[in-house]
Amino acid sequence: MGIFSGKKKGSNQALVEQVILENYQRYYRLAYGYVHHADDASDIVQNGAYKALKNCQSLKQPEYAATWVYRIMLNECFTCLRQPKHLSYEAVQEGNGAERGGREDHYMDVDLQRALDALDDKDRAIVMLKYFEDKKLEEIAQILDENLSTVKSRLYRCMKKLRGMLSEEDKNRIFSRQKQIIE
Amino acid sequence: MIQFSERKEQNDRLEEQIFFWKQEYQKPEMSKEQYHRLLARMEEAKKDKKKEQRKRQMTKYVAAAAVFLAAFIVVPNTSAKAAEAMGRLPVIGRLVEAVTFRNYTYESDRNMADIKVPKLQLGEQAGGQSAADKGQADGDGQQKLQSTTKEINAEIQKITDELVAEFEANLAYEGGYQDVVVDSEVLATAQDYFTLKLSCYQGAGSGYAWNYFYTINLHTGERLKLADLFQEGADYITPISDNIKKQMKEQMEADENITYWLDNEIEEWNFKKISEDVSFYLNEKGNVVICYNEGDVAPMYMGTVEFEIPAEAVNSIRK
Repeated sequence: MGIFSGKKKGSNQALVEQVILENYQRYYRLAYGYVHHADDASDIVQNGAYKALKNCQSLKQPEYAATWVYRIMLNECFTCLRQPKHLSYEAVQEGNGAERGGREDHYMDVDLQRALDALDDKDRAIVMLKYFEDKKLEEIAQILDENLSTVKSRLYRCMKKLRGMLSEEDKNRIFSRQKQIIE
Repeated sequence: MIQFSERKEQNDRLEEQIFFWKQEYQKPEMSKEQYHRLLARMEEAKKDKKKEQRKRQMTKYVAAAAVFLAAFIVVPNTSAKAAEAMGRLPVIGRLVEAVTFRNYTYESDRNMADIKVPKLQLGEQAGGQSAADKGQADGDGQQKLQSTTKEINAEIQKITDELVAEFEANLAYEGGYQDVVVDSEVLATAQDYFTLKLSCYQGAGSGYAWNYFYTINLHTGERLKLADLFQEGADYITPISDNIKKQMKEQMEADENITYWLDNEIEEWNFKKISEDVSFYLNEKGNVVICYNEGDVAPMYMGTVEFEIPAEAVNSIRK
């Protein structure tokens, strides 16, 4: 019995390692969606990977390894956001000014960063995982450790908010166009 | 109606927007450099995890090993004299003593070595007349003792040299982790015998611990072989093996965490009998203690194991 539990521990490590190596770009994008900064996002993934591997024996059900690592990565994102050193949206915008300026044309009316930053931590994860990573709601609920119905209603709320942002943006645009015409 | 179509328009617009956001979202990618840092951090995690496990294991293998982790010295101690002064062990054998001959320590992020090379030397009493006067060893025995300790020292030197060479060769391999620990102790043994136990631990991935036992008969000055303890031609293999099997069974019945390879489905792993050159020593009671390395007769997690053979099991054939 002892020898088998020993083997299981080893395979947990290999499994977690494999999951990380297969998905690190996904974690990176997810982190980037939170912090909008390459170094911070990279740190988040590194720290998450470290914690996942170091504590892989606490993963009780190997079939949930992927979900489990996602949850660790998300927690890292939340932790990073709560750190005082984390810059506000405006500060990041300023810092990235030149770099972002060149990419501005890729955005439509509301840029991704502003849309995401309008959502709270968990809502943001739901939107990113659902629409950008094509995850099923059941899986998202597992990652966030929430009820499926909670996730559904949160997603509905997010959509409403984003829709509101878009129409707000439209109004502003019409307004500024009218202003131009008048001038 | 107007409201409805407006709402629908908004929905389409949100869908369209999400399509573009998704493309935007997927743009950031980890750079090569960031990826390498990630890999390094993952290695670190595995190493730290192992270190924690090793800390737990170490107490099992080498009692004092935890202290070694604090060492940051990278200088192999080549001054035998200084090493002797520092490493003088309590003299238990009256004629032979063990001193630390050389220390090899190394500690870096990925590599750890603490190799204490012992050396046997003849005690002051053994320096000729006084020993002979006491009848400990006659001239022949004295000479024999000298050549025996020399032989053992050469063997220890060879073992540790190989471990050091292997360790240094592995240093060049940057992706790996390794630990090597060698320590020794003089065992409390029956009168007129001297036993040095050399314990080795080598970790890379999973750790492996093994021991060497060197026993000298101080009367004859010769190395003790297991057969020497028994009458000429007597079968000592069978009673000892049977006794070990009995002990294995009893231990397994008493504690479900204990496993020996006795009735394993992999027949070739099963313990059948001791070999003539099995490791052993004589304990204070004069009983034979049979020693096995990790994985020899039990799963690795059992560590190195020892079986003390009670006197009555072999009394009839002991010399």
